[in-house]
Amino acid sequence: MIDETVRRTALFDAHLALGGRMVPFGGFEMPVQYSSILKEHDAVRRRAGLFDLSHMAQYGLRGARVGEWADALTVNNVATMKPGQARYNIFCNEAGGAHDDVIFYRLDDERWLLVVNAGNAPKMWAHINAHADPGVELTNHHGERALIAIQGPKSVAMLSAFVDIDLAAMKYYSCVETTIRGVDVLLARTGYTGEDGFEIFLDSPFATNLWDALLAECREAGLEPAGLGARDVLRLEAGMPLYGHELTEEISPIQAGLKWAVKLSKPAFRGKGALEHQVAADTYDRIVGLMLEGKVPARAGYRVFAGDSLAGDVRSGSMAPSLENRNIATALVAPSAAVEGAQLAVEIRGTRHLARVVPLPFYKRPT
Amino acid sequence: MPQPAGLLYSKEHEWVKMDGQTATIGITEYAQASLGDIVYVELPRVGATLGQFDSIGVIESVKAVSDIYTPIGGEVLEVNGDLENDPSLLNREPFGGGWLFKLKVTDDNERNNLLSPEKYDEIARD
Repeated sequence: MIDETVRRTALFDAHLALGGRMVPFGGFEMPVQYSSILKEHDAVRRRAGLFDLSHMAQYGLRGARVGEWADALTVNNVATMKPGQARYNIFCNEAGGAHDDVIFYRLDDERWLLVVNAGNAPKMWAHINAHADPGVELTNHHGERALIAIQGPKSVAMLSAFVDIDLAAMKYYSCVETTIRGVDVLLARTGYTGEDGFEIFLDSPFATNLWDALLAECREAGLEPAGLGARDVLRLEAGMPLYGHELTEEISPIQAGLKWAVKLSKPAFRGKGALEHQVAADTYDRIVGLMLEGKVPARAGYRVFAGDSLAGDVRSGSMAPSLENRNIATALVAPSAAVEGAQLAVEIRGTRHLARVVPLPFYKRPT
Repeated sequence: MPQPAGLLYSKEHEWVKMDGQTATIGITEYAQASLGDIVYVELPRVGATLGQFDSIGVIESVKAVSDIYTPIGGEVLEVNGDLENDPSLLNREPFGGGWLFKLKVTDDNERNNLLSPEKYDEIARD
């Protein structure tokens, strides 16, 4: 049974107070923007942005067998993770399509956190329970646990005033259990914007205090609340997939260009046979980056042509502030069209607009 | 916020300023605020004949494509070329520099299908 009720995160009132424009997303009412998507995008690229990601589902995994169990259901290595590590991963179906893309966080030998996309939460909770293992205890914290992300080049400097640990020394994709102003949190150096940043997992009742304190104390340094609209542009520029667009039950991680996360050297895992076959045959449609000529934005669903033949369709598209306002897109296209530098065309309201195939990501942060 | 006087309005959040037979058309403050950051505007061609309330172009924000409906019919005399290089003009000056196009009105009676500032304000407050 699917609950159709739109839920609210612990930060709902805080979003309203900040003028957030609330829209339904993944079963929750979430802020798509506060001031302006472009201003919020700019804050994240130049200073830092604060995001409420409490709509994402947090599942506790516990037991000595978690790594082994998860390895059989996912494409990336899990059991090899050490306490304090975070890792991107994908649950696939038997045909190699993606149930969801997720992050595993290993807290210690026995305790793990699995974060899945809000829109996939009912499906994923059912999926992991259908593959239940007596050695793996599953706990659903969706809604009880909040997630606040601070993302941007100033996030180390801003967050340092709130923690006792040396944030600059934390590795990318590492996590640590610590406290912020007396509240237990899991702090991870992860994100979905292409910038440096942190994600803070904590019990929902403490979320508003932390959110308000971060904004109050870091606003002068340029911290801005940022909504899902900015987040989508940021992740697209950074070449990160969005489930439902670049990854679906029909689009595999191999097709999505995520081969680096698919460990075919692992023993049997769900979807492995299909993914091995895709790699060997190399005839699959695949995700490419497109840079459009002209000022008209490409949108998801628009058709892509190579010469006169239909090559595929746009999966995501936006004007890209970090690329001098050029229009960028991802598209799923036939292998013959997926050649770097190839000139393709996107059909927009009956007119074809030139688009060049470019490598992903579109944007890399300055190092 | 009261709506500028001396203009007529459509339910689709466009305004019309009449000057003899010439109508200047734009979108309202409410419309620009709802759309958010505008990144592209597609306008009708000069010389095109438009019927009242026809879908005649699009405005694209970062997130979405929205149709423009002309609040009054006529022949297109001029389009605002400034919007091509600076679509955010629509966000900054919806009632001024962000006007969309000018028409030679075909049928004066079509004004009767439009709203006064007071009537439109009731819609824009919802």
